[in-house]
Amino acid sequence: METGTRLTVRAYHISSLEYGEENRVTLDGHMTVCPSVAEKIREKEPLIKDISIRIIRPDEHDQHTNTVMDVIPLSTKVLGKVGEGITHTLTGVYVILTGVDEAGRQVCNFGASDGILRDKIAWGRPGTPLESDLLISFDVVLREGTWADRPGPEAIHRACDVFCQIFREQMKKFNGYKCTEKHVFQETYEPGRKDVVIVKEVSGQGAVYDTRLFGNEPCGYEGGRSVIDMGWMPVVVTPNEFRDGIMHAMD
Amino acid sequence: MGIGTSMKETTLHYYRDPLVEVLSEDRDVNLRGIVIVGSPDKNEDKYLSAERVGVSLECMRVDGAIFSCNGIGNNHVDFAHAIEETEKRGVPTAVLSQCPAKDFVVQNDHLDGVICYYKALDRMDQPGDETKMLAENTVTETDARKALALLKLKMRKWEEKG
Repeated sequence: METGTRLTVRAYHISSLEYGEENRVTLDGHMTVCPSVAEKIREKEPLIKDISIRIIRPDEHDQHTNTVMDVIPLSTKVLGKVGEGITHTLTGVYVILTGVDEAGRQVCNFGASDGILRDKIAWGRPGTPLESDLLISFDVVLREGTWADRPGPEAIHRACDVFCQIFREQMKKFNGYKCTEKHVFQETYEPGRKDVVIVKEVSGQGAVYDTRLFGNEPCGYEGGRSVIDMGWMPVVVTPNEFRDGIMHAMD
Repeated sequence: MGIGTSMKETTLHYYRDPLVEVLSEDRDVNLRGIVIVGSPDKNEDKYLSAERVGVSLECMRVDGAIFSCNGIGNNHVDFAHAIEETEKRGVPTAVLSQCPAKDFVVQNDHLDGVICYYKALDRMDQPGDETKMLAENTVTETDARKALALLKLKMRKWEEKG
């Protein structure tokens, strides 16, 4: 039997999320969010007019949301590169990235999901949180008219990635023995089985219609390449690279 | 057309993609890898990238492939062509799509493996209609299992046919 890469994912469950004076995640499942960090992130992004960071608890879904651009798990590499080694990830909490421009245009290709949050997410899908999950809303207002070219939406994803990285750096230092769940993915190729591949066609036609691969961190933006810049050519990744977050949705 | 919010596969979806998990766990197949291909804007680029998918799979000498596309409309030009280029080279396919094959904007003779995973037909007019509810019309574990079952059937049929 042939074997491929081995990936260990240690999950840490977050049970409480509160506002605090710093952005902090601790091993005991406690997380604090400091919304004022938004201003520091915004200063480096000229296309962004405003960023607001908020906590949304499961009983607070009856509130307005701008269109959801992405749902991002907080994951980081502890050993090795994306697709092998050890990853630390948080469960029970997800970052919800939303965006609008100054003129009120929702940052999406078409069919915006702005409205009352409760009604605008199909909860519990592979790509969405459970209704009982804690959410960190990262809501961005772009300068007028900048949503339609790639630099606008890219600035939004980059800014959100800077915010996520604050927590990732802390998660790297978590004690591996104290995780709430541990999953080991050993790729094996057994004789006598059919060899199959998955072909995923992903967005690649411009602003809010793009996909990134190969970020430095799992599910990350920084260090990644757009499929547009790679000339839309097919790229092969291993199952472990894929499940370790080699993709970042940009559509 | 393009991609609406209800069709959107988020970064979280990629992180725990049911297609990858179902194929990894199945005891009849070895999941050799995932081919990711961007859907370009221009027809010339669409045909080139689609053909490269077919050639890549031929070189990998795989027994079968499951295709998945979350967009609609012109996305199907390159999607349908990639399926054709793959099957022409002797690799059977099962295909997950937002709408049935008959609604693709282009047609060819290799779309018999298309499974529609649209989920809001009870209140919308036709598969592919945008519901503006995030990820409502995205691939679930059940869809992935259906695609794998169809692929197994097709691989067996192609083998028997020689």
